[in-house]
Amino acid sequence: MEAHLRLSTATAGFPVISFGTGSLVRLPGPSITQANVYSFNTTSYDHMYEELRGKDERLYRSNGILTMLDRNRNLKWGPERFQDWVPGLPRTEHVEKGDKGAIGTEGGVVDVIITCEERCWDAVVDDLMNKGSPLNRPVHVFNVDIRDNHEEALLGGKAILDLADRLNEAAATERSVNGTAGWENGSGAARQGFDEKVPEILAEWQEKYPHLPALWTLAWL
Amino acid sequence: MVEATDHVADQVAQLNAARTLVLGDAALYPQIVNGVLPIVGAHARVELRRWGAEFLAEAFASPLLSAAQKEPMATAVLQTIRELSEVPDQDAAVMKGLVQAVASLYPPLFRHIVKHPQDSTSWENMNAIKLDILRRMDSFPYSVRISCVKFLQRVVQVQTAGPIADPRRPEQNETSLAIVPRSHPLLSIPNLEAESSGLLDRLLGVFQEETSDTLLVNATLNCLASLVRSRQSISNKIVNAVLDFYPTQHVRPPFTATVRVNVKSMERTARAFITNVMKKNPNHPLAGKMHMYFERLMQSRLETTEDASRKRGFPSEPTDGLDNAKRVRLDAMTPPLLRIPPLPPGPLTYAQLFTLTEDIGLSSFDVKQIPADLVVKIAIPLLAQVNPSTLTQAVDAIRARLQQVTKQQNLLRQQQQQAAIGADEDDDYEPEYQPMDVSDNVSQEASAVAAEVADLQPDLVSLGPFVLPQPPPLTEEEAGEIGRSAVARVFGMLNMSETSSASAKGKKQQQLGFSRLAGSTFDRDAWVVLLTRLATRAPAGLEGDDSKTKGGSSSRRQTAISDSIRETLYRYILEDFRARLNIGIAWLNEEWYNDRIQMKAAAESRNDEQGKDDESPPIVALHYDTWVIRLLDGILPYLDSRDIKVLVRFLSEIPDVTIAVTQRVASLARDPERVNLCVQALMYLVMFRPPAREICLNTLEDVYQTYEESRPAAGKVLTRWRPEKMQSLSAQSSAETNGDGGAAPAAVAPA
Repeated sequence: MEAHLRLSTATAGFPVISFGTGSLVRLPGPSITQANVYSFNTTSYDHMYEELRGKDERLYRSNGILTMLDRNRNLKWGPERFQDWVPGLPRTEHVEKGDKGAIGTEGGVVDVIITCEERCWDAVVDDLMNKGSPLNRPVHVFNVDIRDNHEEALLGGKAILDLADRLNEAAATERSVNGTAGWENGSGAARQGFDEKVPEILAEWQEKYPHLPALWTLAWL
Repeated sequence: MVEATDHVADQVAQLNAARTLVLGDAALYPQIVNGVLPIVGAHARVELRRWGAEFLAEAFASPLLSAAQKEPMATAVLQTIRELSEVPDQDAAVMKGLVQAVASLYPPLFRHIVKHPQDSTSWENMNAIKLDILRRMDSFPYSVRISCVKFLQRVVQVQTAGPIADPRRPEQNETSLAIVPRSHPLLSIPNLEAESSGLLDRLLGVFQEETSDTLLVNATLNCLASLVRSRQSISNKIVNAVLDFYPTQHVRPPFTATVRVNVKSMERTARAFITNVMKKNPNHPLAGKMHMYFERLMQSRLETTEDASRKRGFPSEPTDGLDNAKRVRLDAMTPPLLRIPPLPPGPLTYAQLFTLTEDIGLSSFDVKQIPADLVVKIAIPLLAQVNPSTLTQAVDAIRARLQQVTKQQNLLRQQQQQAAIGADEDDDYEPEYQPMDVSDNVSQEASAVAAEVADLQPDLVSLGPFVLPQPPPLTEEEAGEIGRSAVARVFGMLNMSETSSASAKGKKQQQLGFSRLAGSTFDRDAWVVLLTRLATRAPAGLEGDDSKTKGGSSSRRQTAISDSIRETLYRYILEDFRARLNIGIAWLNEEWYNDRIQMKAAAESRNDEQGKDDESPPIVALHYDTWVIRLLDGILPYLDSRDIKVLVRFLSEIPDVTIAVTQRVASLARDPERVNLCVQALMYLVMFRPPAREICLNTLEDVYQTYEESRPAAGKVLTRWRPEKMQSLSAQSSAETNGDGGAAPAAVAPA
């Protein structure tokens, strides 16, 4: 969600959809066995915020959960589950709900998926295979391994924005090569399309962020 | 020009408005697509063409439109798509959108053709587009090629027979070759099948290329899962192709960051694909191969990263004098060298020998002045901080010094000795010289050394040769005790290896077969062999010797040891005779063999001695007969009527069946329950052990005559092997019953 915030509020204003890959939304509770559990797609962040504030405001304020939920409820209506996502299903209602980054995702498709944990990457790649790629549309799936705490999330969010900026730049370059004329004029690296550049972009990015091990593949929506 | 750009921008804005409309209501798609087609046609500006291609791709991919709704749309757009794709040097983005759109519309169009065999125009257009894409695929820019991979996968999926869910409702079946009627005028099943098979090979060809193209490999891997899942006939071929693919196979150094990203990416994607297949079908026939594949992926990955880290190792020398970080590392590799001062000349003290410092204050300091507990407090933390390399250097230095000093002193001593011997001859120079010692060379030298040492005493102790004193001789009891404890330890090993290597044993033995060597495998069998030979062969020669030299008194000690081993073995086997019978057989074979060898040796020695004098022939202690009977006696009481296999195995594998043995077996017949056991065992011997046949038949006759219960079974055997005897026996017995009529019914009644 930190990355969602970063990407959607960046100067480039990336269209963003954010998902979870677990079976339920789990938030830490008073003890390890008493987690707060909510279902995906049907619970709003606002509802969670109000409920937890009613339960024990001091606890959830001090462990940062309320701050996090407050951030999230200003970003989008509620958490969605990746496995329940139907790519290509129009998302115009999310624009109406005021989700940040919803503009540009009306068509329900994305060009890039970024996960923050390796098992999420595995889950996403596996789920995309299960979905059977009905759209025949390529999607680059990245993982940027970020430890799940507030500090690392802040750093990781920045790094993800950096990666997105680099990818966006490459895509824009390709797009601006207008027709075949530009193609003929370029040579070497300039001729490379966006897709070919992705491994190089990631490698360069990785050298800058060696503590965030990255992973990538080209999958299908 | 500005006007034109504005015009295009306006048009794009209008088109976007139209798109928003269909996103709100998918039912409007056919209408909007038809309206848009003329605007984005082959002669439109590139912005419009791009928009159009992407819109078409989106339209045909929409999950809100059913396949049935897409069919008429597909036929409507084919002509435009064909024109667009045939524009020479078409823009890559346009081409990409087109290929995506074609991949999405291929299944509905195929379905349409199945239903409308008369629509040859659409099929012709479709074929033209397909052939054009396939022909130009390899020359397209990457972004388009990737989409072509997906198109190939779609075509293969459609043109391979898929499952038929419900034959009565064809509209619900998945679009595949299976829904094509055999007599279709446009679609020839064999041709389509052949084409899809070729395309599949082309698709999988990416795994066999010399240099793996990460994008294409990933794109292929990620679209294969649905083929494997829905097309049974080709799934094994696909999985096998992936299992033969190793991302690191053709990777050569240098391992740049990009290469590492690529390799890791292909590895993980291949892994994800195989995991997906396995999850869908955990009992997949190739599951074993898949696990091996995982392992190999893991290994090859380690190698690559290892190489990479090796490559980034320490710089061979500081590349930059200002680069502190690197210099520190190099420093750490070469610890400070310890300066070793040379030894002062002349006689040395221990203190001088061990002093490595040149600081006079330090070397003259008497540590004894510090209390011991304080020394301990200081020494322990100091020792913890000692640099291992410095310590090694210091130890080496002292060792070198010591060697040097010893060499010098040896030299000196030799010179003195020679001088002393020289002086000896002239006058009795040596004050401690004692003529009594001269007889022994060693003691002479020892005394000489002692003299020298006495001379050099204040300097250094010499490290001369040292001979351990002979241990005091053992008494017979002690020796016996030690022998028994050794034997007990071997039995301990037997028990231990019995439990530990029970599973591994069978396999090993199978591999060795006849080429097995006794006692070479260190498993239970080896210990058994060792024990049996220890009991039989080891003391055998000694016994003979003893009996020869000491005559009748014999060697109680040796027999005691070997007999105690035998006794222990005997008990060990009886503890669990069914499982340890093979040990017993091995042991008895050894005994028998040993007896033979002994007798042979005795015969030879008798022959030799006959010429010299006629002393009484040497006595050979034979063990086999006694122990086979003891073992059999031990086993017999515990045999029950179902133990025929145990008994037959024992009787057939012991080396010699004697009358005593058969009589013991015959005694089984006393027990009415075990009569059959007895007869069957004897019958087995009669049939399969010809040398023992006569003995056994005699025993069987006895059994027949003695025990009434055995008659039905034993009678059969005897009728076969001794018919004439049997006749007389049966005549005899019938005469008995006739003669003594009262006795027979009495005997029969209880049965």
